[in-house]
Amino acid sequence: MPESSIHNELTSIVGGENAVQDPHLLESSSVDGVIPRIVLFPDSIEQISEIMKAASRAGASVVPRGSGTKMGIGNKPISADIVLSTRKLDRVIAHESSDLVATTECGIALSDLQSYLGGKNQFLPVDPPHVRGGATVGGILATNDSGPLRFRYGTSRELLIGMKVVRADGSIFKGGSKVVKNVAGYDMPKLFVGSLGTLGIITEATFRLYPVPESSKTYIACFESVGKAHDTVRSLINSNLVLNAMEHMNPGLAGYITERLGLGSDFNRYTLAVRIMNVSRAVSDQVKTVSDISQKNSGKGLIIEARNEEAFWHEVREFPWRSSDGAFAVLKAGVLISDVPRVFLLLDQLSDKLGIRARASARAGNGIVIISIDGDGESVINSVRGLRELSESAGGSLVVREASPDIKPALDVWGGMGSSLGLMKRIKSAFDPGNILNPGRLF
Amino acid sequence: MQSSIKETIERPPDWKRGFGERLSAILGRDGVIFADDELLAYDCDALTGYRIKPLFVVLPRTSGEVSRVMKMCYDEDVPFVPRGAGTGLSGGALPTDEGIVISLARMNSIIEVDIPNERVVVEPGVTNLSVTNAVSSYGYYYAPDPSSQIVCTIGGNVAENSGGVHCLKYGVTANHVLGLEVVLPDGEIIETGGKTIDHPGYDIMGLVVGSEGLLGIVTRITLRIIKKPETVKTLFASFDRIEDAGASVSGITARGVIPAGMEIMDNLCIRAVEEAVHAGYPVEAGSILLVELDGPQAEVDAQMPVVEEVLRGQSALEIRIARDARERDLFWKGRKNAFPAMGRVSSDYYVQDGVIPRSRLAEVLGRIGDLSKEYGLSVGNVFHAGDGNLHPLVLYNSKIEGEQEKALELAGKILGVCVDAGGSITGEHGVGNDKKRFLSLMFDENDLETMNLMRCAFDRKGLSNPGKVFPTPRTCVEQGMKPYAEHPLQKSGLGEMY
Repeated sequence: MPESSIHNELTSIVGGENAVQDPHLLESSSVDGVIPRIVLFPDSIEQISEIMKAASRAGASVVPRGSGTKMGIGNKPISADIVLSTRKLDRVIAHESSDLVATTECGIALSDLQSYLGGKNQFLPVDPPHVRGGATVGGILATNDSGPLRFRYGTSRELLIGMKVVRADGSIFKGGSKVVKNVAGYDMPKLFVGSLGTLGIITEATFRLYPVPESSKTYIACFESVGKAHDTVRSLINSNLVLNAMEHMNPGLAGYITERLGLGSDFNRYTLAVRIMNVSRAVSDQVKTVSDISQKNSGKGLIIEARNEEAFWHEVREFPWRSSDGAFAVLKAGVLISDVPRVFLLLDQLSDKLGIRARASARAGNGIVIISIDGDGESVINSVRGLRELSESAGGSLVVREASPDIKPALDVWGGMGSSLGLMKRIKSAFDPGNILNPGRLF
Repeated sequence: MQSSIKETIERPPDWKRGFGERLSAILGRDGVIFADDELLAYDCDALTGYRIKPLFVVLPRTSGEVSRVMKMCYDEDVPFVPRGAGTGLSGGALPTDEGIVISLARMNSIIEVDIPNERVVVEPGVTNLSVTNAVSSYGYYYAPDPSSQIVCTIGGNVAENSGGVHCLKYGVTANHVLGLEVVLPDGEIIETGGKTIDHPGYDIMGLVVGSEGLLGIVTRITLRIIKKPETVKTLFASFDRIEDAGASVSGITARGVIPAGMEIMDNLCIRAVEEAVHAGYPVEAGSILLVELDGPQAEVDAQMPVVEEVLRGQSALEIRIARDARERDLFWKGRKNAFPAMGRVSSDYYVQDGVIPRSRLAEVLGRIGDLSKEYGLSVGNVFHAGDGNLHPLVLYNSKIEGEQEKALELAGKILGVCVDAGGSITGEHGVGNDKKRFLSLMFDENDLETMNLMRCAFDRKGLSNPGKVFPTPRTCVEQGMKPYAEHPLQKSGLGEMY
């Protein structure tokens, strides 16, 4: 199909002002250096459907995009002809507050959704990074991105109950429902969570919500050793406290955050941060218990709340993106809870041996470790290999979430996908036989 | 739609005997059930209205055996139906007459209990309650608790994505399964998820949970276990009108309280239950609402007065808080015995499983009442009110000509009411064989076709539990069978083009 013909077709679908070919915008919409030919801003699911029909017919590749805060995830795309922005689909469709359920278009920024829900004192309990940068609900679902609160509430996967998706061929389908309990038909929404836009364009989602807790406090304590901190984690897990978040930070990160926020200079050690959100009495009672348990392991701590607390957790979410200009990688390791200290110890060794700077925070009750590494290119690459070897040999995984352009080509972004890879590829080819959706970014 | 498999396969006259021998060669003589009278024990699940005798039943002991059996079935186009304890209420384990039943009953070992990492790894034939029993001495439990938890299996729970009375707060099976070993219909063994979380790639595990045996057979399951709460408090409130009980439920969540469980029973059920188990419910009440709060002591202490305030605001006649564990168990015993107790009131009953938004409870109960009058059949209401999962019990007498048909028609109309209110045709019993004709109330042709597209990636021959879930039989179209295609540019090596 001649280039001008599909261009005209796309322009007529969204209107000239919503089909942009300005070179600056194209360049800023590039994915790992692959520059698109056009950026489209459809404002309805029907327009998205028409775009996908046109792209399918022409064999043009499509990169779905929300606010573009997570475009560094995945392999370099094989091709990126059309960037399809969902940002104009930003309405909250329904909020049934007495059902604790909301349906929203997926181009809405999470922060806007939270403000809306906050009007009824409810929220969607996910706290991924980049929320102030405009992270959208669709982007969070497509990457299954999450933050420290997953310890209590899970990720968006656990909160999602229904979804509307435009398939590669432009057909629109819905899965799930709008009630919190439903087993009718396959649980199709789960297939799209974390699928990185390779199976369809997520346009609408229905979530179960939670009431905003009355009160919140965070207890931060530092420990003499990773072992003492981990012993405290084990005692906390083995208690019947109800914690919202429990982060175990390495000295590099803890020192950096506490200094940045002016919380003191003692925290250049392995540090735990425990957040409790509940009715006031239950918060103060439980913070007391956490501090008792921590003191048994010689932890030295302090309680933060209100603005300090918000600022602290903001840093915990965003620290990987505060790196320097050199070679860097942002990693997510998934290991057993009991293997978290091994990841920290390896990071210490790699820092000593290779001179890298490593900051890391473990969702200590989930076995997820978010790591940022800076240093010279080869040392960063070797560190990633070492960390992957450890994670995979322990039955877990290590994903490169983002890396500087100089080293990304040398990194295996996803690592092994195991024995279900063949099935994943069959699903991909069933949903996207022309391989036009984010081709190559997953596999 | 194309015809189903059994009509297209012609087999040689002695094929059945030979096939049985080939199964025996894999499983041993005691691993295959041949005798007609023994096969009858497998001709239905807990929905006994449908019965079909299978060709054979096989009882594998390992995932390797499951795989070899399935590969043989696949090569010879023999459909198969997986089966756990057979407690399902939607006919999901109903055999096909040209196929075999693969019972997972002998794969009943708990493989690993890992307390520090909060994981239990089990074979599919392990019962739900035995997972909790294996970890309760450490202060842990397995949260999903379907009423049949003493006998139902984890494999069956995975197939049905089972819920229970506590899923409002703690979620359903899908929220507690972290890893699966699955034998795909062609015999390939794959793993998805594991003891760690956030594995890269598609969420195959999430698809398989709740797939009702249509995507393969699960042979190993990694479960998340959670700590028991510090405190549990249970109360019940009685009301003149069931609508007030319903309004209390959304009133409680609207005040920011998420109880561990909320259950409602109407007068018909209260009377039946009181007679059967003497739970102490007031038999003259129009309805009762059970509320259970759990968590840290201070949280429960703060929430209890809020709950009581809501209940009084909805004209509760009496509020009774269980004084101790014994009384709490008694309150629950009534609820958990509601289905069997109905047997005292009516010779036959049909259990429905619709879901509605909590906020529409009062209105939907009114419409069910109208339908009950219109059909002249009693409907008992006992349900998981917190998550809007209704279990209307349609009472009938099968000895009266035409009454069973009338009852089923009424039950179907109730599902229509649920879907009209923005709900679902099934909350936890599954679609199975029983509700497949209602699936189109919720999903249009393209939604169903998309589900089938996914299914074909797992089972292009449609041999795994065929005839279930989908309203009409579906085959796999050419597109679903294409091998993974490289992008045109990937193949040609061309640069930019579109």
